[in-house]
Amino acid sequence: MKLKATALFLGAALVLSACADEGLRGYPADKTIDRGINSHSLKTLQWGVYVDPDGCDHWISDDGFEGYQVNRLDKYGKPVCSGVAPPTYTAGDFKGGSPIPDPN
Amino acid sequence: MANRITKAIGALALATLASISVPGPALANGDTGITPFISTQNFTRDTPSQRGRDRGQYIPEIVLTPDGCEVWAADDGAEGYASNRLTRKGTPRCHDVQQCGVVNTDQFFATDSYRIHPRNRAQIASFFQQSSAFAFTIVGHTDSRASDDYNLRLSYNRAVAVAKIAKSVGAKIVDIRGMGERYPVASNRTADGMARNRRVEILCFQ
Repeated sequence: MKLKATALFLGAALVLSACADEGLRGYPADKTIDRGINSHSLKTLQWGVYVDPDGCDHWISDDGFEGYQVNRLDKYGKPVCSGVAPPTYTAGDFKGGSPIPDPN
Repeated sequence: MANRITKAIGALALATLASISVPGPALANGDTGITPFISTQNFTRDTPSQRGRDRGQYIPEIVLTPDGCEVWAADDGAEGYASNRLTRKGTPRCHDVQQCGVVNTDQFFATDSYRIHPRNRAQIASFFQQSSAFAFTIVGHTDSRASDDYNLRLSYNRAVAVAKIAKSVGAKIVDIRGMGERYPVASNRTADGMARNRRVEILCFQ
């Protein structure tokens, strides 16, 4: 997903002298899309559960180069500690949304 | 509400912080063996990241968790950021998928009572037996009559009564709460509204 950066660099070099467009040098403020390999809207993140050492759940998603994690809360705002996995373990295919393997 | 820091500079910053850390206070409940440290990082309001090229503007996406609650998520190229989207009151913005059952208390409890009649137990037991959820939280509510304190106790006792039946058929109950009259779903000015507020909610977690 960093292919974008290379493309931007090449593009910027080509039009360097004539470029008066600040937009080309800048990065887009729109962060709603996973660009590059396996490009997709973040709406389609594939979530799993990570259980922290206190035993409470977090939604976790490995989207290739990006990792996302948020608290699993019930509608009253309290943490959900469901016991779906032992502390420090995960449940669900949270890496299933991306074909990019992790080095570890 | 955390994120993964993938940049070397992030690791360096963390290493610096770790070296000047002091032992954090002991946790009030549950010792995980992990000692928190108190960060002494200074916060400055300007955003010089990427030499100013991102101009500090990050427009995130609203993503739904499998529970139906909203999350702010932003893909910054090689980093992802996310946090729970909360109301100003501190509750998450959730769409109605967690609540998979409501016990209308008038059907099962006499006024001011938290005993469930034996003939109604089977109906509640069958709900839990048929549910595919992994775990449940039971939350009791009342209408606004009687004192707040009394309603907190009554709603909790009713939630416990429902939870006991659930446990008797093997359901996993992770929390039982009595919210009293504080979370009405209808107006307490009408008889119909009050009846709808007298309820025991079953939150289901897959």
